[in-house]
Amino acid sequence: MNTQIIFILLSLMAIGSAVMMLASKNPVKSILWLIVVFFAISGHYILLNAQFLAVVNIIVYAGAIMVLFLFVVMLMNLNAETEPVKNYRLQFIGVISGGSLLLILLTFLMRTPVAQPVQMKVGESGLIGKLGMTLFQNYVLPFEISSVLFLSAMVGAVIIGKRN
Amino acid sequence: MDFFFLQVQAQNSAENYFPIVIQILFAIGLLTLMIFGSDLLGPKRKTADKLQNFESGIEIKGNARQPIAIKYFLVAILFVLFDVEVIFFYPYAINFRALKWEGFLAVVLFVSSFLAGFIYIFKKGALKWEE
Amino acid sequence: MDIKAYIALSLTLFTTGIIGVLVRRNAIIVFMCVELMLNAVNLLLVAFSKMHAVSPAAKASLTYASDAQIFVFFIMIVAAAEVSVGLAIIVMMYRNTHSIDVNFLNRLKN
Repeated sequence: MNTQIIFILLSLMAIGSAVMMLASKNPVKSILWLIVVFFAISGHYILLNAQFLAVVNIIVYAGAIMVLFLFVVMLMNLNAETEPVKNYRLQFIGVISGGSLLLILLTFLMRTPVAQPVQMKVGESGLIGKLGMTLFQNYVLPFEISSVLFLSAMVGAVIIGKRN
Repeated sequence: MDFFFLQVQAQNSAENYFPIVIQILFAIGLLTLMIFGSDLLGPKRKTADKLQNFESGIEIKGNARQPIAIKYFLVAILFVLFDVEVIFFYPYAINFRALKWEGFLAVVLFVSSFLAGFIYIFKKGALKWEE
Repeated sequence: MDIKAYIALSLTLFTTGIIGVLVRRNAIIVFMCVELMLNAVNLLLVAFSKMHAVSPAAKASLTYASDAQIFVFFIMIVAAAEVSVGLAIIVMMYRNTHSIDVNFLNRLKN
């Protein structure tokens, strides 16, 4: 019962902040709302007993990626409104099509017979030790490939970002 | 009060995090109380001169949010990449002994690739501030 | 909690991201909406992993339940790499055109 209340609160927080992110005109404000969404999702991870992912989510998304976004917004001096020309018809069409997609997906979800409970409270699989063993025993190759991905991202960022 | 502490069991469970939630709520509550309480209780005089930003008696010029120089941006990007690299070390550090030499070899390979990237960045002069 | 609640939550977040990509024209906001969609998928992966954690197959194999969390881990890693290159592209676009409007980019079509 308690977990249900926490789940509903966190979900409302996530969805509300996501909508606020779309609605706010100021890019800095929408970045801050997205950080709230990430914190709500981290709360969901803790509720699902995936503690390591919750911490990593905060460190990587809220700590690194969103700071980079904020930095870019400050770099471009976007605190003034940047979308002056409005095309309300296109916006309306976008919202309607997205909303109908959500409606269709939710309708099909309601009709599916899948009704399995999610194990929420106990379990060791979210701990850093168990995850580390899985990562370094079964997923060594993706681990190495991700380092190559990072190398290419570094080279790409330097080549794109450094003009001359 | 022992409701909070004695129930923390040996097995891992989301309820173990309840004290942390209480702590976060307490911190947020204290901050809101202090900020809004001082705002409500303190004396207020709102004149045009008082509401100006404090700039040591000099007149305010323009907006505080000026564009940052673009050379800092590359450093920020590279920071994110190296920051994410460190995330991989936590699971390795926990299982350092259990993984033996194979794990060590995997991490050395991983780090060597990052080192190659770092040397590339250095040679390209992406971290140079002047010039 | 039922798995359906998690699916519904993830779908809602994902569709919010889609609407953002369709509606907003600021390239940075569009990019943030992509991040939101990635996060919705991450949440769903973790929820499914916890759903399967009670199944008999998971009891037999030790790593069964943590596989999906490793996937989420890799998705976060890829997102970081993607953001660094993508934001570099956006900054360069801003330097050359002084605009980050995505509609401005359709000049490439002609």
